[in-house]
Amino acid sequence: MKIIINGEEAVIQEPVSIAAIIAERKINPEVVVVEYNGSIINCRDWGRISLKEKDALEIVSFVGGG
Amino acid sequence: MEDKLVIAGTSIGSRFFLGTGKFATFEIMKEAIIASGAHIVTVALRRVDAQSKKENILDYIPKGSIIMINTSGARTAEEAVRIAHLSAGLGCGKWIKIEVIPDNKYLLPDNAETIKATEILAKEGFIVMPYMNPDLADARRLVNAGAASIMPLGAPIGTNKGLKVLELLKILIEEIKLPVVVDAGIGSPSHAAEAMEIGASAVLVNTAIATAKDPAQAARAFGLAVEAGRIAYLSGLRPKQDNPEASSPLTGFLR
Repeated sequence: MKIIINGEEAVIQEPVSIAAIIAERKINPEVVVVEYNGSIINCRDWGRISLKEKDALEIVSFVGGG
Repeated sequence: MEDKLVIAGTSIGSRFFLGTGKFATFEIMKEAIIASGAHIVTVALRRVDAQSKKENILDYIPKGSIIMINTSGARTAEEAVRIAHLSAGLGCGKWIKIEVIPDNKYLLPDNAETIKATEILAKEGFIVMPYMNPDLADARRLVNAGAASIMPLGAPIGTNKGLKVLELLKILIEEIKLPVVVDAGIGSPSHAAEAMEIGASAVLVNTAIATAKDPAQAARAFGLAVEAGRIAYLSGLRPKQDNPEASSPLTGFLR
C-alpha cells in the first residue's frame, strides 16, 4: 500500500506502525515530532497506530535557523 | 544601574540574539553562541530526510539558553501556527519567532498573516516574537494581538546591508512600548551598535556571523558592539549638529 511520508509517496508492504517506520528509517525518536494525518502524535502512541492506505506522515526535527 | 531586558516576564541575559542557520558545523555554532554571550538562540523546524544530520542541534546549544523556534518556511498564518504546534510537540516551543514569508525573491514578511498568527498563538499561551516589515500601524496591531516584542527588519534577510529603514525603526522604538528587536540585514558590529544606540532593546543576527571566516570572533565582536551600543544609548549622547564646537578651551593660548 502507498502512504505519504514528508510529502513523498512511500510503498510499504503491510500495515505497520509509526514506530516501525521511525525505526526502519533509523531516525532518532527523541529528536523528532510526528504529525499523522494532520494531528501531532505523542511518541507513546507511535506503536499503537497502524498506517493505512493514503495516510500522511510528517516527521520533523529542529535544524539551524535564524 | 540595573538595565535588564525583560520579555514576557522573563529576564533576558543578553541583548544579543543569535540565529543558528548556515554554520558549517554544530561545533562552530556552539563556539559562536558562547562567544557572543547570547541567551536567546533561534532554531528552525524541517522535515527529516536521509540527508538530515543525525546529531541533535539542541545538544550543541548551551544549557540555560532560551530556544526560540522560528516559523520559517511558513507562507501563511495557518502554516506558522502548524509549525508552532509541532515545535511544542518537541518540548521547547513556548518561545516562537513568527516568520511568515510568502515571497522567495525578497524574503519580506507578510505583516497581515503575521498579525493573524500572533493573535492565535498568543491566545494559546506562546511567547510570540513576530518578525515584521517596520510599519507603525501593523506594529500596533501586533501589540494588540498579544506579541511579547516586535522584530522589525533592518534590511532584507541575509543582505548584510544594515539599517536601511533607520527612520522607520526610530519611529517604532519611540511609539511601541514593547521591546523592539532589530532582526535581519545586520551585517557588521557597527550596524548592531547603531541599532542599540537608537534605542532598540536587542538585535538578532545570524548570517553575518555564520558566514564569517571566524564565526566565534565575529560573534564576540557583535556581542561587544551590542553592549557598547546599549551603554551609549543610556549615556544620553548629544545629537549631531552642523556648527563645529572646539573641545579644547578657546582661551589661554600660548601666543
